[in-house]
Amino acid sequence: MSFKSAVITFPGSNCDRDALCYLKDLTKGEVHNIWHEETSLPKVDLVILPGGFSFGDYLRSGAMASKSKIIDEVVKHANDNRYLLGICNGFQILTEIGLLEGALIRNKKLKFLGKNCFIKKKFKNNFNLSIKDNQILQIPIAHNEGNFYCDIETLNLLKNNEQIAFEYCKGEFSNTEENINGSIEAIAGITNKKKNVLGMMPHPERAYSDFHQSQDGRLIIESLIS
Amino acid sequence: MNEELILQHGLTLDEFQVIRKYLNRDLSIEELGIFSAMWNEHCCYKTSKKWLKKLPTDNEIVIQGPGENAGVIDLKDNDGIAFKIESHNHPSYIEPFNGSATGVGGILRDIFTMGARPIATLDSIRFGLIETEKTKYLLNGVVHGIGHYGNCIGIPNIGGECEFESTYDFNNLVNAMAVGHVQKDKIFYSKPKSIGGLIVYIGSKTGKDGIHGASMASDVFSEEDEDEKRPSVQVGDPFMEKLLMEGCLELMSSGLIESMQDMGAAGITSSSVEMASKGNVGVHINLDKVPLRQPLSAYEILLSESQERMLAVIDKKNNHKVREILQKWQIDYEVIGEITDTKRVVFESNNKKVVDLPVEIIVDDAPEYDREFYIPRKRKNKDFDFSKIKLEDMIINLLTNLNYLDKSWVFDQYDSTVMGDTIREPGQSSGIVKIHGTQKVIGASTDCNPLYIRINPYEGMKYTVAESYRNLIACNINPLAITNNLNFASPLDPNIMGELVLSIHGLKTAAVKFNTPIVSGNVSLYNQTNEIPIKPTPVIGMVGSNMDLNKINTNKFCEIGNKILILGKQLTKNCSPYLLQDQKIAFNICEFNDLEVLDLDFEKKIANCVLELSDLKCIMSCNDISRGGIFSALLKMQYKNMGFRVKVPDPIDLFCEYSAGYVIEIRSKDFEEVTSFLTKKGAEYLEIGEIIKEGIEINSKKFDYFDIMNKYRNDFEKIIS
Repeated sequence: MSFKSAVITFPGSNCDRDALCYLKDLTKGEVHNIWHEETSLPKVDLVILPGGFSFGDYLRSGAMASKSKIIDEVVKHANDNRYLLGICNGFQILTEIGLLEGALIRNKKLKFLGKNCFIKKKFKNNFNLSIKDNQILQIPIAHNEGNFYCDIETLNLLKNNEQIAFEYCKGEFSNTEENINGSIEAIAGITNKKKNVLGMMPHPERAYSDFHQSQDGRLIIESLIS
Repeated sequence: MNEELILQHGLTLDEFQVIRKYLNRDLSIEELGIFSAMWNEHCCYKTSKKWLKKLPTDNEIVIQGPGENAGVIDLKDNDGIAFKIESHNHPSYIEPFNGSATGVGGILRDIFTMGARPIATLDSIRFGLIETEKTKYLLNGVVHGIGHYGNCIGIPNIGGECEFESTYDFNNLVNAMAVGHVQKDKIFYSKPKSIGGLIVYIGSKTGKDGIHGASMASDVFSEEDEDEKRPSVQVGDPFMEKLLMEGCLELMSSGLIESMQDMGAAGITSSSVEMASKGNVGVHINLDKVPLRQPLSAYEILLSESQERMLAVIDKKNNHKVREILQKWQIDYEVIGEITDTKRVVFESNNKKVVDLPVEIIVDDAPEYDREFYIPRKRKNKDFDFSKIKLEDMIINLLTNLNYLDKSWVFDQYDSTVMGDTIREPGQSSGIVKIHGTQKVIGASTDCNPLYIRINPYEGMKYTVAESYRNLIACNINPLAITNNLNFASPLDPNIMGELVLSIHGLKTAAVKFNTPIVSGNVSLYNQTNEIPIKPTPVIGMVGSNMDLNKINTNKFCEIGNKILILGKQLTKNCSPYLLQDQKIAFNICEFNDLEVLDLDFEKKIANCVLELSDLKCIMSCNDISRGGIFSALLKMQYKNMGFRVKVPDPIDLFCEYSAGYVIEIRSKDFEEVTSFLTKKGAEYLEIGEIIKEGIEINSKKFDYFDIMNKYRNDFEKIIS
């Protein structure tokens, strides 16, 4: 049975094409591109909310996109226990919809960060099954607002429910700090309680091809398919 | 018309008389505005045209040379590459964030106007000395602006250069370059096809921003001007540009557009006049139809440089379909006029013709000057005293000079991997991206050696072109074509004019030899403030390709134990300008010896050796040798805690500049093959050492690897904050 997936495009999305290629190349299944004004979503195994600057980041990153017509369908898809992945701006949109806890605020140094970062998995879920404990992944980040923040009660909930999927760490030869953007507890990605919705700041769709600097981004799709 | 008004519009009284005589009537204020916009240096190249004509602009791969929004070259199959560089110097000094952001926005529009999807940007930015707060403010603002615009629209920034030097204190330079991919059978030009075609306005509403921007860009600055001119700086909205880009590319790929022109410098005036001139037709535009942000006079509409706007010509029957597509992208769209057969530019407002001019007088009769120029005097050669200089000091001099330090602080603020096709990241000798869906890669580099050019504009320019060339060769990229951005001070000074003329000659000589024609470019003059001229800064953007992405070289060390070889010819230490300047041996520009003549045939010979060895997979990594010599090249190559152990006759040799200089890393097992290949080709080489773990060793002297690397990687940020 082939793996079906879809990518939502909002005005200002700029990683939608990358996400489509990522899915096509790795799932070998049907991949749909859905415009934000559509009101129905095909039945697929995975939906990606891609990175970019949906609606120009006006108001707040992800805030306008979270009110798009397609979002009702995206929520239904998630409530149906199917996979939903928000990458970068997609993560921001998921927190604005309320499918994920917390918020993404400006990076600690108040500057955009476009570089390789290193992450490892924290708690096991279906998105990181194929990743070994303590395995360090090299995946690019490119964001201005990627500093994950939540209050202490929420943080405890995230921990107790094992909702933290990825955390930033130091690479073997890297010159970067352990917690690259100042996120609370170096959180790079979290899931919902049911663990079928993942939001992450790093871009796995930029780290999968042979010519990319790293192929570690494959592991997420491999985890979902396995 | 009173003289003051004419001069305020940047026209000389002589120029005005030419117009007055031709028309044999008085001009309306709107018409005066049009001449002000079209006859300034920025739009009509009146000073440089005579010399630019001498440049080679064509060869077998050029599809479109200068004269369109961007040049286009052939990359085999149906792939074309459109590219251009453009300056936004003055706006970026007055308002660094918006000035640099709109510089990126403008150059991206030039690319997608041709029907090309932008796939990469690069930039070349220069600032004054970092010791002043003003420079820190400018650096922060410019880098933020470039990043903000490019990151949001989602085009990877793959490289460039960033330098600091005192002559840029009051005249920072911001040159932005963009590269796009176009299907050869779907290139769009600004020439309209049919009489009666509708002229349509696409994009942001028109506001007051940027009125007279183009004439400001052709003006000498004084410090007091700065506040006064701020309203002339455009404000950019990259989100709107993203929508505009997607909307326009969709219109073009649907075959709904006849021709397109970006409303850049001098806005609707320049774009409509160009359209009429290219097509040898007339235009009739009703200014009342132009979508406005605020109430504006006809004069203001004509000269506004509001961003993210396009002018297109469509067939009447497509009007509805065009509107539908643009509605999806939430873009303003209005039919504002028509292509006519009158060969006149007519603008009407409130049922009155406010402008009615023959295209000929605006474009063909634009002034062209043959300005006086001086050839620099021949320099006397002398020997400098190197006896007091110690190796440790030379290293420290590099590590305390911003120009040598790792500039991740800059690059990290740019998204270099969006679009998923980036192969090299910034900070390497050239940026490389894949053509989507193919195995082909495009490499690009921007360079300039202002110090060399001030010493000897002709030879210095040859070195600048050669440096770009080497940057591509080092990655195993075949250099193909050039875009240039000639940044100079006031051409009214015959010495400056001499630098302009001679450097264009140098560019010509090198471009002919390398078979890399100049397909697009930009000129920025009058870069001087308070009588301080910038160093001549003709920036080169060179583009090349490799048909197989698996064949490109990295600039980073690969393996401990591999051997380090040097190719090329060292410049003598008395004739290595950056060595003399940066090691504090020569201070004043008149002290320097003349440049050694650069042998371009030798450059080509060595380059071909590097390309052939790369194809034989004998080169593990390669970097070109430029400012800072072998030592600086080796620092840039360090990776994963790999360092180097080298032996040279004289440590100063490690800091001298080179012609055709490359550092190559080879495996011991390939040593015989490589050296006999080089010997056969008559290319001298120098085996200087090997790659070692966590060490830097020069002539048996050991240096603290981590201390040097920490300074190299982290001190840039410390110094600029």
